[in-house]
Amino acid sequence: MEAFNNLMYGFGIALEPINIAYVFAGVFAGTIIGMLPGLGPISALALMIPITFSMDPSSGLILMAGVYYGAIFGGSTSSILLNAPGVAGTVATSFDGYPMAKKGLAGKALAIAAYSSFVGGTISVVFLMLVAPLLSKVAVSFGPPEYFALMVLGLTAVVSLSDKSLVKGLIAAVVGVIISIVGIDMQTGTERFTFGSAHLLDGIDFLVVALGVFALAEVFYMLLRGGGGKEKPRNAIGSLKLSRSEVKEIAGPVGRSSVLGFFTGVLPGAGATIGSFLGYSMEKRLAKDGDTFGTGNIKGVAAPEAANNAACTGSFVPLLTLGVPGSGTTAVLLGALLVMGVNPGPAMMEQRPDVFWGVVASMYIGNIFLLVLNLPLIPLIAKILDLPRPLLLSMILIFCMIGVYGLSFSVFDLFLLLGFGLIGLGMRLFGFPAAPLILALILGSLMEESMRRALQISGGDWSIFIAKPIALGLLSLALLSLFMPMFKKLRKRKALNS
Amino acid sequence: MTRLNTNQWLAVVLLAFSVLYLALAWQVPAFPMPRPVDSDLLPKVLGGLLALLSVCLFFEKPAAQEVDDEPEDTTQHGPFWLSPWGRVIVTSVAIAVYAAVLVPLGFVLASGLLSVGLTHYYGYRRHGINIACSLSVVLGLYLIMTKVMDVYLPTGVLPI
Repeated sequence: MEAFNNLMYGFGIALEPINIAYVFAGVFAGTIIGMLPGLGPISALALMIPITFSMDPSSGLILMAGVYYGAIFGGSTSSILLNAPGVAGTVATSFDGYPMAKKGLAGKALAIAAYSSFVGGTISVVFLMLVAPLLSKVAVSFGPPEYFALMVLGLTAVVSLSDKSLVKGLIAAVVGVIISIVGIDMQTGTERFTFGSAHLLDGIDFLVVALGVFALAEVFYMLLRGGGGKEKPRNAIGSLKLSRSEVKEIAGPVGRSSVLGFFTGVLPGAGATIGSFLGYSMEKRLAKDGDTFGTGNIKGVAAPEAANNAACTGSFVPLLTLGVPGSGTTAVLLGALLVMGVNPGPAMMEQRPDVFWGVVASMYIGNIFLLVLNLPLIPLIAKILDLPRPLLLSMILIFCMIGVYGLSFSVFDLFLLLGFGLIGLGMRLFGFPAAPLILALILGSLMEESMRRALQISGGDWSIFIAKPIALGLLSLALLSLFMPMFKKLRKRKALNS
Repeated sequence: MTRLNTNQWLAVVLLAFSVLYLALAWQVPAFPMPRPVDSDLLPKVLGGLLALLSVCLFFEKPAAQEVDDEPEDTTQHGPFWLSPWGRVIVTSVAIAVYAAVLVPLGFVLASGLLSVGLTHYYGYRRHGINIACSLSVVLGLYLIMTKVMDVYLPTGVLPI
């Protein structure tokens, strides 16, 4: 009953005309940005941050949440029409979506993606409503050692689940923390790595790094690939209608994948990408016609689409209840919240119920918008894919500049942006994942603060981190998450040798 | 002497960086009052970790395709500034010039010039559409940021 009352309170906020406009704008902008190959939800969110500068925090987060799940949905459109996933979370959608498009069933695939996203998103919001308050009650008892351990786990999980090299992931994370500690140490007032520059006293803003290593690096990468690659010819959209038997066929996969996707999203490190792959492989195994997956099976579109949208909502659970993001995307969201003066965490539901419940309620509205707006507009929105690439690249550059300059009014930050863009390009070329860097950048100072507080409580005794059972458990999980990929590699090697 | 592979020379660069970083970390001044953890601890730990990871990277076998997809048209003939790497360098210089002239020229003019110029440079030849799109996006952003969001952007030489 309490959850219902809170939800009604949230609807009161989310249904304010200005917030409805923000949900609409967020979902629309997210869909368009997510559709553009290369620009994922992290870039979409980073590009949107400047717009939220002067907003009320609840409105700002409502807009950002809309952009996030809009981007995930938008990614499916380019996956289906071009076989060029706009975001990693929609790669699995292309396995059956693109073959359907090649058969002239693009409209049907897009409609299935829209319906499945809607159901996945809506089911997961119900879970978010139920799980988040429970988790925040547990998290209230968390002290600095537990928080430190939790952040370490978040970081190691993201590193270990990135498909690239574990060592490179760890290096990216260490570099992220190195960047985060530039500036004045808030506890002692000591300057660290400022080199006497007044511009670095406040540290390096995460937005400069996020826009640099994601959006600007993407522009550079597209240029390196010859202006963003040649546009593939698009297939005709075709009818968007689904028959009753088709709806029946996808109902089970959508329901199962929604639940699976939500819980995958809650786990630190596992997000929409892993959720969608798990959903896809689960349905492939369960389906009687599993052997037709990959050739245009409608369940192969429905399952990953439901799972990725559900995972997207699930990833809000650790962010809003613990204040610890579990992915690069939610790390950018956390950064945006901090810019707006909101500290997410267990106390947020008490202190800022307007933000928490406003966002939860807006997700219901956003999912409806996704369906109502995108379904009839799909053929129109898909024309964005025809936008000349040179024009698109220039626009992204302008968005990056305005985002950085609008935050700090400092030309120095524009030079930093350029530097991080080139670093991001290098990371991309040499296989360093960028998500651990951005997560570490946001968590770095928080981690240090928690570690110091814990050591102050214990009088400098490091055993505090293993004396607390929750902290010990979380640190053990963190270690396990790092060693698991190594064990897997060793086993693989052994199997190959034998 | 055997040639270093990609991971190995990356490791050497990172190791050099970590040594430099550690040297700087040792110069972080101590807080006058004794504290369980001072400002220099984390930098020292991070420098050490980076050095250790660099060593691990040195011995890690590069993946089959270590360098992400090769540029599509690296073989194209023509001046360097039209080659893929040339484009990256010219764009970087354009961003640096933009940063330098943003305040004196103003956001609208500097951004408009950057957008129109780069779009043309990237090979888009429909000048009317280029100018119309670039200016409308730049002007639209300027008006949204300054009039709706109350974010100050430099006006420069233009009266708006």
